Amino acid sequence: MKKVIIGSGSAYWGDMLEPALEMAERSDVQYIGFDHLAELTMAILNRMKAKNPESGYIQDIIPWMKKLLPVTVPKGIKMVTDAGGANPIQAALQVKKIIKDLNLGGMKIGVVYGDDILPYIDDIRSQGWQFKNLDTGEEDIDRIRENIVAANAYVGADLIIEELMNGADIVITGRVSDNALYVGPLMYEFGWDYSDKYINKIAAAVTIGHIIECSACVTGGMSNMWRVSERPWEIGFPIAEFYENGEAIITKTPGSGGIVNEWTVKEHLLYEIMDPTNYIMPDGVSDFTALQLTEDGQNRVKVTNMKGKKRPDTLKVCIGYRDGFIGEGLVFFPWPDALEKAIWTEKWIRERFKRLGLEFKELRIDYMGVNMLHGEAAPLEDKDMNEVGLRIAGRTKTWEEAEVIRREATHLWTMGPIGVSFGVPLNVRPVIALWPSLVPREVVRPQSEIMEVN
Amino acid sequence: MKKVLLRELAFARSGDKGDVSDVGIMAKSKNIYDLLVKTLTPEKIKEHFKGMVKGDVEVYPMPNINSIEIVLRQALGGGATCTLRFDQTGKSMGQALLRLQVEADDSLVQEAEEVDASIRKRFGHK
Repeated sequence: MKKVIIGSGSAYWGDMLEPALEMAERSDVQYIGFDHLAELTMAILNRMKAKNPESGYIQDIIPWMKKLLPVTVPKGIKMVTDAGGANPIQAALQVKKIIKDLNLGGMKIGVVYGDDILPYIDDIRSQGWQFKNLDTGEEDIDRIRENIVAANAYVGADLIIEELMNGADIVITGRVSDNALYVGPLMYEFGWDYSDKYINKIAAAVTIGHIIECSACVTGGMSNMWRVSERPWEIGFPIAEFYENGEAIITKTPGSGGIVNEWTVKEHLLYEIMDPTNYIMPDGVSDFTALQLTEDGQNRVKVTNMKGKKRPDTLKVCIGYRDGFIGEGLVFFPWPDALEKAIWTEKWIRERFKRLGLEFKELRIDYMGVNMLHGEAAPLEDKDMNEVGLRIAGRTKTWEEAEVIRREATHLWTMGPIGVSFGVPLNVRPVIALWPSLVPREVVRPQSEIMEVN
Repeated sequence: MKKVLLRELAFARSGDKGDVSDVGIMAKSKNIYDLLVKTLTPEKIKEHFKGMVKGDVEVYPMPNINSIEIVLRQALGGGATCTLRFDQTGKSMGQALLRLQVEADDSLVQEAEEVDASIRKRFGHK
């Protein structure tokens, strides 16, 4: 039975390079997918592009491709990456230059772009579409329209498949769904289209894409198995052996560290999926409540009986908008009476802000080492701790107000309780808030082309 | 029957989607799953998180993998990019839920211990 071997080489902007390189060197993968785009990333990249029309892609692609291409080209491994970000053409030009510099011979780069709907978002609205906020239920974007900095649709695998059919050795995309980086090669290799005949097969590809797309997160990273993960500092990235019948094996780079077992696969199946009966991706909808997992030897888990539904008529769109500033301050208190000193200082800082008449959208004060992570769900017990930190964070309309928060916290160095310690003050940062919404599939205009390297 | 912390009976992992904290609970056995599916009600979970979860709680059973997916709405202070929380993406929310107290038969606690032991043993740990 035909099988396709596909691995994950990156899960975010700044992921570790060695595991991707080791996968290319040591395994028999045919494809490696690379995701670099989180929800906020497109807003950051769009702003970079606005300042410089030749930027706006993930610049890591340059050092990464310099290392990877000399390995992948001789082995015929194809790479699919969303490092194009807000500027896939420029990213492709950079890769083209690397291929030439390294003398790797003739190659084809597929470029997929056109996920940016900001240029015509008002046209879409004028046709009666409302960009309802999926988090808050707010009906449309009127309130934030002036402050929008990015609006990108999560497009599916259609054009990745097209460019692979056109002979692309590498596909560089903008904002496609992370999942499409994996679904695309699988649909292309098996010759599946979006007709009803392949619904469960595509659902299986969507599921497997989900399981491997976060790189180390299914091989012992962020895991309950942290104690038993082998040589976690040499963690291997995940590889799927996907069979034509819609079943798959999840494993990792041979000889690498980390762990793949029933639990690491479950952890990732459950990760950020919302309703498991409707895991909605642009290429298909998976029902994670049908599948079965079986361990199939060391670091191998078999996934069977994957089912789903047809792809949706809408695409997810992530709208980023400017929403004020955050100012932060940090101080630490030593034993003795560390928690009591923190409580004293919380009162001090609140009184200071009152006296200054500072207006906040929101103010938050945490005791680090006590309740900073688990908030109200953590018991506030004074255990005569060695040290406790106080974190003061506030969201404001203006940069100046946020700067006051930072500055007031520095006053604690001389005006706080005995023993106050401090590090380097944090800078005020602008907030890009996100407005998750949907857009009709047919109004988004993705495009693609082949860039030849001779 | 005795009161145990959920951490004895299950594994947890959490992540985010906007202002939603999404918590996966993996029961250490089928019997434990059967208990947890009855015990982990939206009301009980919301109460456990006190003020941290401002919106609705949804619970999705996944009997095929003895797991439960929990969706906590308005639970991350507005979402990763604008929250004032240090844990912007709620990676610690799953661990917070493991503090929940559950009434369980001794036999279930023993089953969970056996699973823990087998994981350690299989990978050469004591």
